Amino acid sequence: MLHHVGHLNWLLAIEDGSCSILILSLSAWLIILIIRAYPTTAAIYPYALFIAAIFSMIATTAGWEVIKWWVVKDNLEYKKWLETSIPVRFLFSWMVCTWTATNCALRKNITVSDSRFQQQTDASVLLKEAELFKLRQQLQPHFLYNSLNSINALILISPAKAQEMIGKLSDFLRSSVQRESESVLSVNEELQYIQSYLAIESVRFGDRLVVSIEKNYDENSVLPPFLVQPILENAIKFGLYGKTGAVTINITIVTENNMLVITVSNPYDADQQPPKGTGFGLEGIRRRLYLMYARTDLLTITGSDGQFNTTLKIPQRYVQGNTD
Amino acid sequence: MFKVILIDDEPLARQLVRALLEPYKQVTVVAECGDGFEGFKAIQEHHPDLIFLDIQMPRLNGFEMLELIENPPSVIFTTAFDEYAMKAFETHAVDYLLKPIVKERFEKAVQKWLQHAPAKEQIRVNELIEANIYEGYQHRIVVKDNGLIRIIPASEIFYIEAKDDYIKIVTKDGSYLKKNTLSHIELSLDPQQFVRVHRSYMIPVTQLKRIEPYEKDSHIALLHCGAKVTVSKSGMAKLKSLLGW
Repeated sequence: MLHHVGHLNWLLAIEDGSCSILILSLSAWLIILIIRAYPTTAAIYPYALFIAAIFSMIATTAGWEVIKWWVVKDNLEYKKWLETSIPVRFLFSWMVCTWTATNCALRKNITVSDSRFQQQTDASVLLKEAELFKLRQQLQPHFLYNSLNSINALILISPAKAQEMIGKLSDFLRSSVQRESESVLSVNEELQYIQSYLAIESVRFGDRLVVSIEKNYDENSVLPPFLVQPILENAIKFGLYGKTGAVTINITIVTENNMLVITVSNPYDADQQPPKGTGFGLEGIRRRLYLMYARTDLLTITGSDGQFNTTLKIPQRYVQGNTD
Repeated sequence: MFKVILIDDEPLARQLVRALLEPYKQVTVVAECGDGFEGFKAIQEHHPDLIFLDIQMPRLNGFEMLELIENPPSVIFTTAFDEYAMKAFETHAVDYLLKPIVKERFEKAVQKWLQHAPAKEQIRVNELIEANIYEGYQHRIVVKDNGLIRIIPASEIFYIEAKDDYIKIVTKDGSYLKKNTLSHIELSLDPQQFVRVHRSYMIPVTQLKRIEPYEKDSHIALLHCGAKVTVSKSGMAKLKSLLGW
């Protein structure tokens, strides 16, 4: 190009050209190194433009000095031409440097925001898991301490019953521990667990607690662990406040529209509507359902005709898809 | 002879305390109650010297029951609460027994009470409720209404007004007086729902219909129930920050 445009002879053109390209490449390489070493992405573009401007000046000056010393020698005509071509050379190296710098800054920016996004996703997943774990854990201690207190009483009153209760409590705890690692369980497994829980409650509350279970569900249904037991605990607490007479807690488990629907109903004092949110752990269940299914309509609480109904819906397709 | 009442929703838990009290001949158990309502009635009837009180009970919990009693007897709480709640009990010098109740600890508590028995120290229930030991913020207020106990869900409150030593709770069914201060109530209700808009007024944000300028630095809030409530300068600032105006 120099040969044609500048009417230089071939040798001069090649020498001049290779010098310029070498110097320009060197400065582009330095620009990349410098921008990569820039610690953050804050104001990276102005920084890149600044670096590019400096390097284009250095490259032009260096190019001129080197060419003057190595190529020009005594060729006055060429020297004059070289001087006039300086602005063009500067413009060209400035363009190259700017392009290199901004491109490099852009890449860096993308990498950083990618990894930041990844970090945020990781963090929110961890947070969600931790919260789910905590919500599960909350359900256990009260029940355990109260059961131990019952055993304490039975030791004084009826040691044989105390032994029986210890056996039931151990069964319940053993299956709790096994379930800890599961994200979903089959409905039959859950039912077994519920029954071991109810066995303990019937010792605590004696003859007053009657439980009826109505089943009409798809055997393949699954549900997350530790959801039904706190609902039952709540129903028992609210159902058994009176001092006299037996109280029946009804549990129905059915499959409806691809949902496993579990309803727990207990009688309550009609003039004393149990307020929302005072439920022992119902808010925790609502939160867990939201974290798992991103839905707020899966737990409904209704009260009518002296019956308090808690309905839990578990979407089936979703749960199974989740375990695949 | 000291009269004792046991209030716990679990029969076995009451039987345990009864059995542990057996050796103390100077103490008689005059009543056993399964919830706060029964406890309230039994306390009015028997005027006991000491009660063993569970906190987490259906209908009326232990704190709510205590709030309703003019001169509460000495209380030993029996609870399965966690460590955090225990700290609050300790700060307020309230005696408590952790479930499962252990004989040694039980004896210590009873001995301690017997030593101080004549000098009854008033329990500051309000402070315990403020500490939000029981399931965080309160979702209801319990009042006495002509000798009956009425539970007012927080969602049914139109507004609360300070009246000397009392607070007036206004709802669609009428208004109720309760011996308490707005500052106490303010701490026990959810600040996301209730705002103290004035020295004498607290309103649920959902009741707010319109706000009009009034005198210098103050506003008037029109509520959905039709009432008008004065809003002070700092009350206005609270509303603004809560509702993001």
